[in-house]
Amino acid sequence: MANYLIQARDTVWKRWQQNADAHPDRDAVVHWLAGEEPFRWTFGKLLRVATEMAERVKASGVQKGDVCAIILRHNKALYPLYVAISSIGGIPAILAYPNPRLHPDKFRQGLEGMSQRSGLDWIFTERALEPTIQPLVSGENSTIKGLFFPLESEDTPAAQCGSGQSQGGEQVLSTAGDPFLLQHSSGTTGLQKPVLLSHRAVLEHVHRYASAIQLRETDRIVSWLPLYHDMGLIAAFHLPLICGIATVQIDPFEWVMAPSILLEAVSREKGTISWLPNFALNMMADKIAEEELSGIDLRSWRMIINCSEPVRYESHCRCVERFRPYGLDPAALSSCYAMAETTFAVTQTPPQTTPTHMVVDRTELSRGRVLPCMDGKPARICVSSGTPITGCTVRIVDDNQREVEDGVVGEFAISSVSMFDGYRNYPEKTAEVVRDGWYYSGDYGFRSNGEYYIIGRKKDIIIVAGNNIYPEDVEDAVSKVGEVIPGRVVAFGEENADLGSEQVAVVAETEVTDDVRQRLLRLAIVKAGMAIDVTIGNVYLVPPRWLIKSSAGKPSRKANKERILADRASLEARTL
Amino acid sequence: MIRNDLKRAILEALKLEDWQLEETTQAAEVPGWDSLSHVNVILAVEKKFGVRFRNIEVLKLKNVGDLQLLLESKLKAATAGN
Repeated sequence: MANYLIQARDTVWKRWQQNADAHPDRDAVVHWLAGEEPFRWTFGKLLRVATEMAERVKASGVQKGDVCAIILRHNKALYPLYVAISSIGGIPAILAYPNPRLHPDKFRQGLEGMSQRSGLDWIFTERALEPTIQPLVSGENSTIKGLFFPLESEDTPAAQCGSGQSQGGEQVLSTAGDPFLLQHSSGTTGLQKPVLLSHRAVLEHVHRYASAIQLRETDRIVSWLPLYHDMGLIAAFHLPLICGIATVQIDPFEWVMAPSILLEAVSREKGTISWLPNFALNMMADKIAEEELSGIDLRSWRMIINCSEPVRYESHCRCVERFRPYGLDPAALSSCYAMAETTFAVTQTPPQTTPTHMVVDRTELSRGRVLPCMDGKPARICVSSGTPITGCTVRIVDDNQREVEDGVVGEFAISSVSMFDGYRNYPEKTAEVVRDGWYYSGDYGFRSNGEYYIIGRKKDIIIVAGNNIYPEDVEDAVSKVGEVIPGRVVAFGEENADLGSEQVAVVAETEVTDDVRQRLLRLAIVKAGMAIDVTIGNVYLVPPRWLIKSSAGKPSRKANKERILADRASLEARTL
Repeated sequence: MIRNDLKRAILEALKLEDWQLEETTQAAEVPGWDSLSHVNVILAVEKKFGVRFRNIEVLKLKNVGDLQLLLESKLKAATAGN
């Protein structure tokens, strides 16, 4: 790969420009649509169209340093728009397009909270969202200066994908230290934390991570990951574009409804690397019919990097067993530990090396000790997430932030050259997690023989299919359901082995006792989750004063999770 | 009107005892029917009726009525082929 020594005036835009000059006809982004021929952006065309768009973006008032939210579904115009905003010094921030089940008021409230926190200046979106978003623009104290509908040819910056003939346009001068992009720690709306990254942070990270995965000019990324997620944005979009290789971008909604699309894209495009959250391995291993695999050839796939939720050994085994007959190399399965606050990756297992796993005593692990499992005791298989990439240092620390020895469970603290500069406009939240240059991740795990293993989270965040869900949001929504005692609700994540991920469970206190009314109440609770775009997989109804309170007087999630799961296990045992 | 056997297959896949399903009902309106469980619904319908849906057919479905039409076209084709 090219030399990535970063100079003071080096920017991501310059790397894109260099790639366009050196390889104008090389695929940059292959925009994949099921059942159609993919649309191919070469580096040359992508930069030319972006330059045309940039003129219009600038003419419409966007200035250097303005935060430009992009809320679009899978569309080929998104990529040049993103590049265009960046070229004039704007700060692109891709946000999730609202799911139809999310109530428009909830979406607007989340966006409003985000705009006040992140200081969103402009929103580039689709006309369908105008009625929902427009009140924010005209609202008092709004930071939002305007809405644009870039998919409509008559609107600024429009021109859809343009002729690609323009050579003009003046790129705004930026330096390596200037802000480059804003990404949000994934999560339910309202509680997302804005992470501002400089050109330098992104370039540093891409350079070092490319080295960790031994990226080659012949590599071809294939991804269905949403671009509002750090794994999709940094690993599957910025890394290839900066390094001058192609990325095949699949619609996340199409993939989740038809998971074989990823395999088809890898097979047809000779894809070499994909990042996937753990549940995706289960989906592909279990939910794809044999007929869909006719003609699929996975021999080119050299790395499938499992990231964004705890890595499950069984998921790797299922994936290998299912797809080995189609050419999948078992050594392609790999794992990584990453977060938006360090741009992306912290640790990574080496390419072509099966991640190490350890069979440990589950009971001892819950007490913070890593011991081999003996004599048929309950076991947990922990899979390594590898060793730190260059520029990252990891310590496992106790509650007093003192480093612990190998084989002892503690919190992951990270120092990185590509660390964020703090949450935007959120110094108190930054102070909670950054101390003396170390980022305290809230993730729990241990080190063994120099490798790092993630086993859970200190915080109560629920990770469903790679997405973070804050239990507070769920509890707040469920508390408002009639016949649930307000404030007497806890939400937590419980293992869903079939999904290869967690599912959201709720324990709610109620006076209701008869079966019919309880059934209706359960349904009402599930519907309350739907309104905030959270699927509640299990509802436990309990009588008043059942929930255990913490010392702060609020129901304790951990204690009540343990209690309800113990009750359930006991009930199941009695049933058997 | 949604045929009862299709309705039962969908509701069982979603672990729902009952829910009103009309031709115009969309997945987002049904408790538990999210993007992750959609593939389970499709697999359950395929299994119950012994049919196979192609990816592109599944992606074009907008509501339960579309799913019923697709199912009936498959069943008709299977009958014609026998």
